[in-house]
Amino acid sequence: MSLIGWLKGNRLVDVTAQDPLPVQQQGAITTRTADTLFANTTSVTADANRDLLGSAATELPTLDGCMQYRKLVWFYFRAGGDSTTYRVLARATDHNGAPLGAGWQEIVPATTLPGAANSWSRIEIPATTDGYYDQYRIEVRLTSGSNYPLTSKIVGVR
Amino acid sequence: MTPKVCLVVREFGAFNRAWTQILRNLGIDYTLCITTATTTSATIQTTQGVFAAGSADLRGYFRQFDAVILCDHATSLNPTAMVNYSVFWLSWNAPEDPAFLFFNPHFSTAITDSAYNSNFPSDFPIVRPSPSDIAGTLYAADGGSAGTTSPLFAAGTAGRGACVLFPAENTRAHVMTICNTHTNIPYYWKLDTAKHSALANAAYTHRVARNGRAGEILAVPAPPTSSEDTETYPSDCVVAYRYRNCFWLPHAMVRAQRAVNLWDAEVSPFVFWLLYGLQLAGVRPRYRLPVQIETSRPLEALDASSNAPYSLREQCDFLLVSWDWMREFARRKGTAIVSGVNVGGRDRSASSRQHWAILYNTDYPAEVREAAMRVHQILVAGHREGTTPCGPHDYTIGGGNGLWGSAVSAGYRRHAGRQRGTPNDVPIARGVYCVAPHVLPTGVAERDAQTVQVGDTEMVEWDFTGRTSGTGTTFDLPMGNIHAARMIIEGHIDEMLALGFPDGYCAGHRYTNTAANNSGGECYWQALKEFGFRGVRSSSNCTGINIKRVPPNRIWHGFHLVGDETIDNCSSGAVFSRGLYLPSAPAGGDAVRFYQLDHASDISANWATGQVAAWRAYRRLLCQTTSIWLHGTAVELSSAYFHPNQSLMCVSLANPIAPFDGWSRLGPYSTPHYNHAVELLENMNAIVRLLPEYLYWGTITDVMNHRERVMG
Repeated sequence: MSLIGWLKGNRLVDVTAQDPLPVQQQGAITTRTADTLFANTTSVTADANRDLLGSAATELPTLDGCMQYRKLVWFYFRAGGDSTTYRVLARATDHNGAPLGAGWQEIVPATTLPGAANSWSRIEIPATTDGYYDQYRIEVRLTSGSNYPLTSKIVGVR
Repeated sequence: MTPKVCLVVREFGAFNRAWTQILRNLGIDYTLCITTATTTSATIQTTQGVFAAGSADLRGYFRQFDAVILCDHATSLNPTAMVNYSVFWLSWNAPEDPAFLFFNPHFSTAITDSAYNSNFPSDFPIVRPSPSDIAGTLYAADGGSAGTTSPLFAAGTAGRGACVLFPAENTRAHVMTICNTHTNIPYYWKLDTAKHSALANAAYTHRVARNGRAGEILAVPAPPTSSEDTETYPSDCVVAYRYRNCFWLPHAMVRAQRAVNLWDAEVSPFVFWLLYGLQLAGVRPRYRLPVQIETSRPLEALDASSNAPYSLREQCDFLLVSWDWMREFARRKGTAIVSGVNVGGRDRSASSRQHWAILYNTDYPAEVREAAMRVHQILVAGHREGTTPCGPHDYTIGGGNGLWGSAVSAGYRRHAGRQRGTPNDVPIARGVYCVAPHVLPTGVAERDAQTVQVGDTEMVEWDFTGRTSGTGTTFDLPMGNIHAARMIIEGHIDEMLALGFPDGYCAGHRYTNTAANNSGGECYWQALKEFGFRGVRSSSNCTGINIKRVPPNRIWHGFHLVGDETIDNCSSGAVFSRGLYLPSAPAGGDAVRFYQLDHASDISANWATGQVAAWRAYRRLLCQTTSIWLHGTAVELSSAYFHPNQSLMCVSLANPIAPFDGWSRLGPYSTPHYNHAVELLENMNAIVRLLPEYLYWGTITDVMNHRERVMG
């Protein structure tokens, strides 16, 4: 006999697979597999080591706490078509949140940023395999021409 | 839920997300409409179809909302079109129509669109600004000086001043107020008094017409309170007006793409007018926003090496009177002024800036320690009654940068007793080996193994050889691990208790504000949770060594990382405030230069010869700092704070809590007395009274509760 029962047609019945507790589902059950991590407009300049947050502090991550994400998807709209490179750095931390060491693993070396002026693009980080890094640093640098705004959104995919 | 508010925007490329962030924080459902152009021929793309701007269909669509908000504005009077499509809506005045909120509307005579001009209501009572007749159609505001850029783009600095009178509420408040701009000069509007008189005498029925009349002056520049203040405006000058169901309001939000996330949180200093407009429109928010303020280092005194104008004793005296006043204010308003007490003074520093040291270091004269004790007793009593709760705030570690302020805290001197104090030999770094328990083979971990959990990661650590404190007091402490974090925080709690506080985390709020806004990282957040904390104040760059960032949602495993907004009246580098303005002050040493409030030198050039310059500086400072505080309250759900000793150094010792009175009451350096605490709190109180549907005096607990409500 079950320890839990309920009244069904004025009769006390045990909770079984055939007679489950009468519950009403409140709304759809959803599982979110992607999170918006970043939405920002960066002025792309010729400054070295400048990340999407405008920081040139080379040890400072652009995104932190990313271990749960298999991949980051970087969407962007570039207002200018001037020659630009981007570079992606990543590293793991220990369970205290401390990087395992100084510096970074360069997972994308300085590479031409795809797209012309007023165009959209999408870059997966890492391009192949899975990420699961704790921290990422994404740098953009103008190699010639004029500064322009780069508007980005980065989604973390579990 | 049915949306209550409809936002009309031209393009997302210049859309400020602060509009929607505020609405989300208030629990006001909204929808967005995009206009295809700026002219009267624009169509409005809605979620239920595309409608002509003047169509009956659009009018019917709008009738589902409480309010329609125009988001776009111009930065000068010259454009021929900006929100021309909205001219039809000025005539949609039936009781079924929504309220229309126009912020910094562009309605100048430069608009040549004949459909606009022919549809503009002939009885509209505000004179349309003319770029070719500025003097005849507008009133230059705030001294009339031009900024180096548009004053609409002011954010955390470069604010403009205004003291506004709200006649219906009979309240004066300092709020950033600009009706229109041209050539970087801010302006207020000119009223057509005959048309206004006709409207004010015409009966009108609409739920937003609180006086039952077709026209109502909502706000005007407040008349001066001193003869020194010669910045006056004619009686036909207005800054906010209700024309039937259409609200003509000052600037609310800059037209620029801002994301309002952790890193792009540019201050939106004009948000008061959005909140006020929404309230006037009868939009009832699901939630009100809690208003609260914090201080850092509530008791400290600068010694002679800082060249402060007051002695140690005198500094304690003005802190005593000011804290007595703040405690009483908190008691009356039901708020709690949270403070981060400078700890580390018992074990690591004898400086007079240390709470412990100024009380107990016998190097300081007895009269100083007694004066400091009087301040301390107010704080302890206030902590116990809930008005001035205190928590630890430690600059003596991490190379002066607080939690994880350096990789190693050299020469760290720990507390005595307790689990991690002298003489216990305890780990101060993670074990050589760290393996998750569910994959740890049986018998591998050695006898000194211990399990630690940080976030959702559980690890068994062992072999602490060479990684423990020993039995001594002083050693180099590696900061990036949970063992160090626990030792540091245990010492903080111990010192707080020794100081006489009944707990070390702001009583029931279970919170503190961190030194340098460095909250450390995951290991510190975990350790703080273990000691009972629910949250701390934290900058996004949360260590002193630039190796970490706070996660984007700012709630880490239920632990709050509350954003920081400094609203001191000088820079921290200048150590203390020399007042509103002092030509001989170091960079950032006075309010005008710290916040870049000297537009076209209209303060600095007149300081010695025109008494009005001090009043102008006063207005601008109060508008700037209150605006930053309100931005933190409404947009970021973060925490504004100031440093009492640093910011109050410019008060008059004769009456430290007296209101500002220009050159009639002087502080040190023979410049006007100014008490930042009194002025800020009184001004925010006026704003809270003006916005009873939207704001209330609350506590940091209310802020954290609200974050959990709307940030999920």
